[in-house]
Amino acid sequence: MRSLADVVAKHEVVICAGSGGVGKTTTAAALAVHGAQQGRRTIVLTIDPARRLADALGLHELGNEERPIDLDAPGELSAMMLDQKGAWDRLVERYAPSAEARHRILRNRFYQHLSESFAGSQEYMAVEQLAALHASGRYDLIVVDTPPSQHALDFLEAPQRIADFLDRQIIRWFVKPYFSAGWATLRVVNRTAGNVLRRLEDATGVSALVEISDFFTATRGLFEGFEERVRAVYRLLRSPATAFVLVATPEEQVLTEAEYFLRKVADLSISLRAVVFNRVHYEAAAEFRALDERSLRRIVARAIKQSDRIQRLVDNFLRYEATARGDQLRIEAFRKQLPARLAVTMVPNFDEDLHDIDGLRRMIPHLLAA
Amino acid sequence: MNFDELFDRHLLVVVGKGGVGKTTVACALGLQAARRGKRALICEVDGRARTAHLFGVEPAPIGKVVEARPGVFLMAVEGKAALAEYLGLIIPVRRFLQAVFKSRVYQYFVAAAPGLKELMTVGKIWYEAERTDKESSKRCWDIVIMDAPPTGHSLQYLRMPAAAREAFTAGLVHREADRVVGLLTDPTRTAVNLVATAEEMPVNETLSMYRQLREELCMPSGMLFINRVHRSDFFNTDIERLLSRAARTGDRKEKQVLTQVAARAREEAGWTRLNARYRTRLAEGVDMPVIELPYLFTEEFGSAEVHQLAELMAGGESVAGWREGRA
Repeated sequence: MRSLADVVAKHEVVICAGSGGVGKTTTAAALAVHGAQQGRRTIVLTIDPARRLADALGLHELGNEERPIDLDAPGELSAMMLDQKGAWDRLVERYAPSAEARHRILRNRFYQHLSESFAGSQEYMAVEQLAALHASGRYDLIVVDTPPSQHALDFLEAPQRIADFLDRQIIRWFVKPYFSAGWATLRVVNRTAGNVLRRLEDATGVSALVEISDFFTATRGLFEGFEERVRAVYRLLRSPATAFVLVATPEEQVLTEAEYFLRKVADLSISLRAVVFNRVHYEAAAEFRALDERSLRRIVARAIKQSDRIQRLVDNFLRYEATARGDQLRIEAFRKQLPARLAVTMVPNFDEDLHDIDGLRRMIPHLLAA
Repeated sequence: MNFDELFDRHLLVVVGKGGVGKTTVACALGLQAARRGKRALICEVDGRARTAHLFGVEPAPIGKVVEARPGVFLMAVEGKAALAEYLGLIIPVRRFLQAVFKSRVYQYFVAAAPGLKELMTVGKIWYEAERTDKESSKRCWDIVIMDAPPTGHSLQYLRMPAAAREAFTAGLVHREADRVVGLLTDPTRTAVNLVATAEEMPVNETLSMYRQLREELCMPSGMLFINRVHRSDFFNTDIERLLSRAARTGDRKEKQVLTQVAARAREEAGWTRLNARYRTRLAEGVDMPVIELPYLFTEEFGSAEVHQLAELMAGGESVAGWREGRA
């Protein structure tokens, strides 16, 4: 597969990953618009609490629902955003074993305060939602914009982390009323655990432990089958229907992160299919790279009279050339580490910000060029 | 609040969307603090030694300090290590602690406990900001600068102490969380600085972050840094002249040079217009003093550029030099 167009055409799920601020959201939105233009029923999914996708699509607000986007294309385009808090509430609503349990969880103080910041919950809900959308068969193409994170792979590792946390062996201790025989036994039999518990009581107060214990008791049914759901999610992430696209800019810090991503992707046996470089500055043609400042000034002077304006135009040109040289050298060095079969795309630095459908249409030809 | 008053604070938080230059601004603030004779500690949250790379120094292990420039110290802060350190402070029995750290329950719990990582990270930063030397009883750091992770995440960090205070109504966690919230919300000790670029998405995120900081977190604000601003306008007539001359000339080299020079001028003028538009939107939506920093054209962004921006931010708006791109 040599171009990103082939990659998108041959996969059902396309996941855009990369560090923050590299244009992941815009890239995901552009690929989704392209999918719809190719006649596919497409949805783009984002997980960012900062409502970036809505921005990228020129919309004011995106909800938790699948929301159709008005687009003059043979296919269809929808967009969906996951709001973290809402996502956990929905997980509870979907999987709570009974109405009573659901009620108990939702009004648990511990849950109320912490559901917003359950580490990795955003990422987990994203992949679970992805699996559900994929299973529904309503879409031919699902494009995913992953959350911004320093560690681009939180997205891949969060489900396993949560599964570990909810490990039944461990939960077994918690899913008993705090004053029950279970806790008492633990306290007596296991000196270390007993000590930890006493410290925890000092640290948090008994009432908090009661709340936590009650939370886990209420969520017991919720987390049964969790392991299985996590396995299903990983199966989809590794299936031949799924392609990962790494998005980067030619900046040193971003490329350092990207190198880390490449190593992790190999470890996790995830199939990376394409790399997109955004905001690339291009050097002018090689033949006049050798021109010095004086000759440049002389040539520009044939069109412009005022010497200060000539100087500003030439300075500006040279500054862009320096930036472009750095970009090209960094990209060249980075590409040497990439597997040969990867599609590599470069999108130039535009003279405007791309954040609406027209902007995305302007980006698409560059994105998909062979 | 003006730029100089920032350095009367004990804690400067730097937040903003990913990729806008938070780390650069945090490092430049560190340089400015040092120049004022202060010992500054830059705490990088959850990073991969970005600050050390920017200064071109060998990064220290997590939780350890490296002096990058005289008076500017760097530390990578990470929740799990901070928790271990904290437990070491409240449970002094080493052998017992080792047993806890090795247990599977602890490992799993720390990896995924709701908000624990964020709470411990902010706790550690609070600890450093308040820490005093045992013998001299002087403050260890005059100023601590927190380089926060990208937006959505950084607000989660700042939110956690208050959430923990509410969730645990009694006990040590409640008391400690209360002290951390006390520091975070105290305008005499803390200032939260926003970093943005003047483009659609960073501006939208900045506006929403600003509202949350004000209304929900009630944290005192510092400066708004608008980074990577393009400000060289070109006369459209100049660009047109270049292009019309390029169209007429028979010299192939001249044609190419004029076309390229015009294209780069147009690119720069485009970003200048765009930045101007979004600067206005930021100014309307964010009631904070603004410091603009120029886009620096360079083959590689490194410590020389950080020093340059540190100089420019101290000069504020009065530095006109970079308007013409001489920076």
